[in-house]
Amino acid sequence: MRRVFRMVKREYLASVKTKAFIIMLVLMPVLMGGSGIAMYLLRGQVDTTDKQVTVLDRSGIVADMLLKAVEERNKSAVYDKKTRKKIQPAYILDVVKPDEKDPQAQRLRLSDRIRLGELHAFLEIGPNVRHPKGEQSTFSIKYHAKNAAVDNIRNWLNNTINPYLRKVRIKDAGVDESKADEIMAWLQVEAMGLVSVDEETGEIKEAKRTSEVEAFIVPVILFFLMFMLVMMGAMPLLQTTMEEKTQRIAEVLLGCLKPHEFMAGKVIGGLAVSLTVAFIYIIGGIFFLGNIGLRDYIPFAMIPWFFIFLVLEIVMLGSLLAALGSACNDPKDAQNLTFPAMIPVFFPMFIFMPILQEPTSSFATWLSLFPPFTPMLMLIRKAAPVGIPAWQPWVGLIGVMLFTAFVVWIGGRIFRVGILMQGGAPKLSNMIKWAIRG
Amino acid sequence: MNVVEIENITKTFGALKAVDDLSLNVPQGSIYGFIGPNGSGKTTTLRMIMNIIYPDSGKIRIFDKEMRGTASERIGYLPEERGMYKKMKVRELLRFYGELKSGRKVNKEVDYWLDKLDLSDWADKKIETLSKGMGQKVQFISTVVSQPELIILDEPFTGLDPVNVETIKNAVLELRTQGATVIFSTHDMNVAENMCDFIFMIFKGKKVLDGTLVSIQDKYGSDTLRVRTEGGISTLKNLDGVEKIADFGQLQELRIAPDNDHQKILSEIMSRTRVYSFELAKPTLYDIFLRIAGPEAKEETDA
Repeated sequence: MRRVFRMVKREYLASVKTKAFIIMLVLMPVLMGGSGIAMYLLRGQVDTTDKQVTVLDRSGIVADMLLKAVEERNKSAVYDKKTRKKIQPAYILDVVKPDEKDPQAQRLRLSDRIRLGELHAFLEIGPNVRHPKGEQSTFSIKYHAKNAAVDNIRNWLNNTINPYLRKVRIKDAGVDESKADEIMAWLQVEAMGLVSVDEETGEIKEAKRTSEVEAFIVPVILFFLMFMLVMMGAMPLLQTTMEEKTQRIAEVLLGCLKPHEFMAGKVIGGLAVSLTVAFIYIIGGIFFLGNIGLRDYIPFAMIPWFFIFLVLEIVMLGSLLAALGSACNDPKDAQNLTFPAMIPVFFPMFIFMPILQEPTSSFATWLSLFPPFTPMLMLIRKAAPVGIPAWQPWVGLIGVMLFTAFVVWIGGRIFRVGILMQGGAPKLSNMIKWAIRG
Repeated sequence: MNVVEIENITKTFGALKAVDDLSLNVPQGSIYGFIGPNGSGKTTTLRMIMNIIYPDSGKIRIFDKEMRGTASERIGYLPEERGMYKKMKVRELLRFYGELKSGRKVNKEVDYWLDKLDLSDWADKKIETLSKGMGQKVQFISTVVSQPELIILDEPFTGLDPVNVETIKNAVLELRTQGATVIFSTHDMNVAENMCDFIFMIFKGKKVLDGTLVSIQDKYGSDTLRVRTEGGISTLKNLDGVEKIADFGQLQELRIAPDNDHQKILSEIMSRTRVYSFELAKPTLYDIFLRIAGPEAKEETDA
């Protein structure tokens, strides 16, 4: 046991005592959070150059309203009220008479001005926008810009012109203008959980309002965190075992400890790395969310399940990867085996969205009870607010424990033979033979 | 008492019989040299003694115990190809291997050996910065640092310069003096002759020699005539009763065919040229090796 511990210590320190580990510890959440975090961090980085937009109003009713609206907007949104720092561009609208004789020539002139940088965009408002009937081209509103599809001004125009036109139409219909807001009120359909009985008092509890955070973000964060930890703890075992074999370190180590102790040392070392990172992120996450007042969103009940499934996933995959690594003779062999070996984590990645949307469907249930996928899929189902039958995580847990024991046993047998077998690409038939004969 | 007792072991890899019905006893406190051409089964035998691979049949007893499936802290093993973590520092690696083997701290022993093999200045350098010879010395230390009772060295002198060969030789002899039993394989016949109490030769998986140098040489008798002459090799051709001549430039070794009189051959040489010196000797281990595994043996086998 002391030897295994010494091997674990080396494996652990070899991973943790590197600059790459520290850098990864910081970068990994950023990479995994992807654009969301980047967008959050870069939210202040807005181009505050004023934007000039030419308006061609064929309806004759929108331009004046727009001029008033943009004046209001520029007064309130361009400068930060406290710091007086410019935080948004001012929109400058320039109302131009439409050229009815040669509209295409006018469009080209304006487009060329945009190309030259003299103008940001131009807006064409169809003549029949007040009552959109007849040919569509007569009531269309067209916004021409270099990157019109993702332009904030287009959104502002949408949200300004449409409510105004609706009010005009309501007035035209003879309805009291003061009732327009009431008529146009938009009522959101609220997402609510199920009503349940309080176990302590026996009273019926109010249904909880479910938010996107609970329904989507919490399960997804746990899911991706597990994916990331598996990639850090189990994935390198394929490569490092192959290296130890090809650099003949394995032979020296086998002179010191038994093959299964060698493999156990590597797998537990990888597990220790993952658990370290998991503790850092989870404790850091709890501390951070607690500090910014989002403590209610921390899924404390899920944390033990997270760790149980994480340990099993890494032991299961780590043993498999160490066994496969022992069968490889060069980095190319290891590269070829990486994808098939990682199917238990990659496959859940491909299907997590439908599972999250319908966690109680039979598709989700059966897949999450298939042991190689259980840790990741059962975790995401359990974390979803829908609630899955209480027996399922336990059955999944028993299944994955038995399967992990089986993989460790098979992996150990393959490892023992493979680690000393030189030459030739790893073949499934050989590995089966080694697993059976031991 | 024998430290290693090997009884009729056989090991097959696919169609190749790497070791064939081999038996061997290694007495405690001895230095046992394994010789044999490349691919003859030396490393396989050493790995079986180490329990890294198991024989298909037969028994191996180490310290009077069958040890299948176990790695013993009482045995130190230096494999043929050196295996060290390149990114680890020398001292760190030696402590790791030593602790892994013995299950205890070996800091003192590591410092002792680093000093002894003149590697103290390199203790905090990474393995990847060492020269081949230094790497080999580090690997040697990793084998002996846990103070094993049985030390198995697979070609410990390969790639070392003469100074380092002497250093490792002296270290091995010192370990033996302290009571360790040493088994090593080598291609250097001089080292085997000078260091080993017993020599074992394996050829094509079978044991072909086993015993002390004297007992091995006795089997072949005094059939070698070493001469230094004025005329050199050119005057020694076509001598009756000579099977083979080995030319070493200034010295020639003549192997006398069975039932031939060396006096008669010497007279014939003296009639041809001036003889500066002559010696009737037993064949060297080098010569015996070639007789068993060299081209002439192959010709005999083919014939």
